Amino acid sequence: MLGRASRGRTGRGRSTLAETGAIGAGANPGETAAYAVELKGITKRFPGVVANRDIELRVRRGEVHAIVGENGAGKSTLMKTLYGMHRPDEGTISLDGREVHFRSPADAIAAGIGMVHQHFMLADNFTVLENIVLGSEPTRGGRLDRSEGRRRILEISDRYALGLEPDVLVEDLGVGDRQRVEIAKVLYRGATTLILDEPTAVLVPQEVDELFGNLAELKREGLTVIFISHKLDEVRKVADAITVIRRGTTVGEADPKTTTVRELAEMMVGSELPSPETRTSTVRDTVVLEVRDLTVTALGGRAAVDDVSLVVREGEVVGIAGVEGNGQAELVDAIMGLRPLTSGSIRLGDEDITSWNTRTRREAGLGFIPEDRHRQGMLLDATLWENRILGHQTRPPAAKGWFIDRKAARADTERVMKEYDVRAPGPDTLAVALSGGNQQKLIVGREMSSSPRLLIAAHPTRGVDVGAQAAIWGLLKDARAEGMGILLISADLDELIGLSDTLQVMLRGRLVATLDPTNLTPEELGGHMTGARTSAGAA
Amino acid sequence: MNALRRLGPALFAPVLAVVVAVVISSVVMAALHVNPLRVFEVMFDFGDTPSQQVTALVVIVNRAIPLFLAGLAVAVAFRMGLFNIGVEGQYRLATIMAAAAGAAVSLPAPLHVVLIVVVAMLVGALWAGIVAVLKVTRGVSEVISSIMLNFVALGLASYFLTGPFRGTAAGTQIVSTKEVPESGWVPSLNGILGALGLANPPRQLYGFLVIALVAGVGVAILLNRTRFGFDLRASGLSASAAVASGVDARGMVVKTMLLSGGIAGLIGLPDLLGSTHAYTTNFTAGLGFLGIAVSLLGRNRPGGIALAALLFAFLDRSLVPLQIADFPASVVTIFQGTIVLAVVIANEVARRVTRRAAERGTAEATEAGPTPGPGLTPPPGGSTDARQEVQA
Amino acid sequence: MMKAAALLLAGSMALAACASDEKSGGTASESSASGGGKDLKIGLAYDTGGRGDRSFNDSAYAGVEAAIKEHGGKLSELSPNADASNRADLLTQLADQGYNPIIAVGFAYGQDVVTVAKQYPDVDFAIVDSSAEGQGADNLTGLLFAENEGSFLAGVAAALKTETNHIGFVGGVDTELIHKFEAGYVAGATAVKPDITVDRQYISPEGDFSGFNDPAKGKIVAQGMFDAGADIVYHAAGGSGLGVFQAAAAAGKRAIGVDSDQYQTVDDPALQAVIMTSMLKRVDNAVQAYIDSFVDGSVKGGSDVINDLSTDGVGLATSGGFIDDIKSDIDEYKQKIVDGEITVPTEPTK
Repeated sequence: MLGRASRGRTGRGRSTLAETGAIGAGANPGETAAYAVELKGITKRFPGVVANRDIELRVRRGEVHAIVGENGAGKSTLMKTLYGMHRPDEGTISLDGREVHFRSPADAIAAGIGMVHQHFMLADNFTVLENIVLGSEPTRGGRLDRSEGRRRILEISDRYALGLEPDVLVEDLGVGDRQRVEIAKVLYRGATTLILDEPTAVLVPQEVDELFGNLAELKREGLTVIFISHKLDEVRKVADAITVIRRGTTVGEADPKTTTVRELAEMMVGSELPSPETRTSTVRDTVVLEVRDLTVTALGGRAAVDDVSLVVREGEVVGIAGVEGNGQAELVDAIMGLRPLTSGSIRLGDEDITSWNTRTRREAGLGFIPEDRHRQGMLLDATLWENRILGHQTRPPAAKGWFIDRKAARADTERVMKEYDVRAPGPDTLAVALSGGNQQKLIVGREMSSSPRLLIAAHPTRGVDVGAQAAIWGLLKDARAEGMGILLISADLDELIGLSDTLQVMLRGRLVATLDPTNLTPEELGGHMTGARTSAGAA
Repeated sequence: MNALRRLGPALFAPVLAVVVAVVISSVVMAALHVNPLRVFEVMFDFGDTPSQQVTALVVIVNRAIPLFLAGLAVAVAFRMGLFNIGVEGQYRLATIMAAAAGAAVSLPAPLHVVLIVVVAMLVGALWAGIVAVLKVTRGVSEVISSIMLNFVALGLASYFLTGPFRGTAAGTQIVSTKEVPESGWVPSLNGILGALGLANPPRQLYGFLVIALVAGVGVAILLNRTRFGFDLRASGLSASAAVASGVDARGMVVKTMLLSGGIAGLIGLPDLLGSTHAYTTNFTAGLGFLGIAVSLLGRNRPGGIALAALLFAFLDRSLVPLQIADFPASVVTIFQGTIVLAVVIANEVARRVTRRAAERGTAEATEAGPTPGPGLTPPPGGSTDARQEVQA
Repeated sequence: MMKAAALLLAGSMALAACASDEKSGGTASESSASGGGKDLKIGLAYDTGGRGDRSFNDSAYAGVEAAIKEHGGKLSELSPNADASNRADLLTQLADQGYNPIIAVGFAYGQDVVTVAKQYPDVDFAIVDSSAEGQGADNLTGLLFAENEGSFLAGVAAALKTETNHIGFVGGVDTELIHKFEAGYVAGATAVKPDITVDRQYISPEGDFSGFNDPAKGKIVAQGMFDAGADIVYHAAGGSGLGVFQAAAAAGKRAIGVDSDQYQTVDDPALQAVIMTSMLKRVDNAVQAYIDSFVDGSVKGGSDVINDLSTDGVGLATSGGFIDDIKSDIDEYKQKIVDGEITVPTEPTK
């Protein structure tokens, strides 16, 4: 079915190409048969490695076209090619049937291509208006013409229903608003084709919906959107066409209406997929973590964590669900000893660890997969073996007395890399060189290697590809079966429901519901997370 | 090969910096109608007689010792992301205290030297400790507080020198502390030069070289081989990740600053114990600031700092022959300045190159790893195998 | 971001540290004038600042130039490095290269020159502004100046010219040497007008030499004196003196320069206009006289040559003609000092 769909489209694409080839840059831009963006046989080599190989991509005007693939499959390289950040070694790029050669992003922008990066490039202490006009400021007599800028921004905002307020400082905006500013920035520069790189990675479900609403507006106004993602259900929801990339090359197109997530994922990975489901309970009686009446006060005096009590037993996965920013991060920090408690106590096994510092807690058997691996989990400019011992530098195999045992640490890093499938040349590689999935596997591997009694896993599969996600789920399941207690914080509702033995819902710093994941649907869980449902109604 | 790979990036930046500096300086010299080739020739001319040549080497090494220590002090703090600009004040204050302490007591030779060294390190550490305490308790930027404390330290040093520690009679123009008795001097290494079959120069090779080398090796081991060093470097690479790994951030700031200040305390001792034997109004100043440049050039690694210190010392020595050869002394100043500037650029370039190289290396490995052979690669543009898989 | 800023800051500070204030290096002057001493090789080691300081170092250079003009020969001049840690090296290298005599400019060489002189007993050394007596080096001559006597005349001129009966003195660094300037100046002023007010202030304390090279502070200090009512300020503050002149120009008052004829060395006509006179320290005369005595073999090592009013080693500059009207008064006082009628103190009264 899928095959037919893609073959049909490919065939048509080729034939139209032949026809329009003659017209080429001809005087008939209205020719509908020409693709808005067409890549043919794009190959990009870096010394010793082919990042893209014979890429074929055809995007029609006015469609949302998704490019899916695992991390490291070559999506970013492809987009950089299209955005003029480097030149392909082979192949051609055509816009509206006209072949183009970009020497820099400036060329791409001039040709109507805009890029919304995954990591926002906004100046926090500038207003929305200033951020949008930055670099292409309207001027009058050499001075910034704010009113002209404001007029144009409001026009864009109205036209695409972006809801922008030009005079608000960017630092006061939420993530979703910032993304809209990024989109407006691109539109302001006259883009007709927008590339969105993993736009939903940073958004909560509600914001994702809003974004999709915006994309629909863009589409309606005739703009073309290229949407890069590896979140397949989202892709199916929003895209008109999907191109799948695997190992540097396009493996086919799929019709989102007729292809299931599973089929798409298998195209991406090239094999059968696991699921997060774990149904046999391995919960034992021994309590490994007991948090009692925990309150953490945030900067403004507000209680970020408000009187939270919870218990994690051996072999149990306790999931914390909640819209981000409802105190999960503070709770994790408090348990790890990274943030002072206002009141309450924390026990690890038989010991009261409330007054212990982070190092002692770790040594006593707390493992930690942090939410933001670049901020808390890794030393990007250090080698893999140094990252292997980070957080474990006081214990074997890393330490020998007061010294670091480099040999043993390297050897153990090789073991972790092998056992946890971390793909890198060797233990002396810099961590920054690894893809997100491989970095995360290294973190998971190192935390597992010290056999913690309790593992705090904050968004353990965030930003990693499907393959790595499956591997991490497998590892968590194995650890649980061996009796490890796991506190799982995640924004991925399937992950939470699939992995947890018990689910706690966190809202405004409080645990507002305890749910049994067995028969829970993501929709129900989502309702609890936003406070629409009450614990009485569900538990 | 592996060693070369690891050393490559480390050498790349400084070599690039020196090359860039040579080129820029040559252009500037040419613009000033000075023949750069002739300048470099004079710079490398160490004299005709063996005695002169060894003297030149001794002058360079003697100058390099305090520069090395200064670079080391700055680098220790730099490696954990702290910018200790206060090295200047730390060593000036430490040196006068050590001079006073050394002059006040009389001990058997080795003990006397040990006492002076310990006093100097303690004073330096203490002065740097103030910066650390201000930072961890009040959040004062170490850059600001250490600059301010430099002024305080210089003022205090002047006060002590002209007040309680004054060793010279009123009316003399150069005020100095009382002379440290001979038991507190560090003997010269000229004997070793003789043993090596080199001519015995009129200048004394500072015995403090040994202590500086010990300090350098010690710091290298501490940073690279110990748990403390790991914590320190981790804090420098990412403070938040270090804290999450269990490093006590505040404790680390204090310990690092104490260490940095302790080393800073040694900077004035080669001169003090090797030649002047007293702290004087014209005791060498500015070494703390030069240390920043030396540390940068050496990329904060003890080995690199040693080379950087030697380079700076070499440039410094060449001032005299250049002037005798009727070249403007500013040539060397331009050269030194250009090097510092080039280092800042080269370090950044090197960092990017290293990163890119690492990324390529990984891509290569990933590609070469579990990827199926070329025969199994799906045909370009075709969706056949995907279709087969899905349909299967 | 933070790191980049730190690096830049470090770079600029290091650059600042590197950048010594030497304005120009040594360009050798080989004048083969008449004279017989063709093989005369004179070594000149400058104080920090090097040649081009338009003061001390330049004055020493002028003396050597004059001597070379007379006797022929060759000069090599060296400036110390940025932190002046290589003073001994400069002297050693000059001696090694066969320069003789070697003249060290500035008391900072005081210790090094003694050490090196002992190492090279066959070379004659001279040191400006530092005593050679009792140092145990009989090939070393100290070239000293009676700054107090010259400053006395400056005090006389200031007292005669003041309209507010209120004058000032700015010292660079609070040292014995600068005290001599202050003592003479105050003594001269009170000799003319016993009830005169003399403000006295030093820029930096003993041990901190920044006061000789900090025009900004010099300006502030002088400004304070002008604001307080002084109308003539005399400075003995080296490079900081520029600030004193600027303050005088801004306040519409006058200043007295030091060491060299600063009327001639200040380029800005606005500043020239305020320099009433300068207390000259004739380093050139002293150096030239020393070389003369070297050439005719009459150098007496291990002792000092004191240049005072009687030998015209110190005096007042008359450029600009601001003090021409009081010339006779000044000459009168000068004569009294030369005759020993007035003994000028070297330590100021408190």
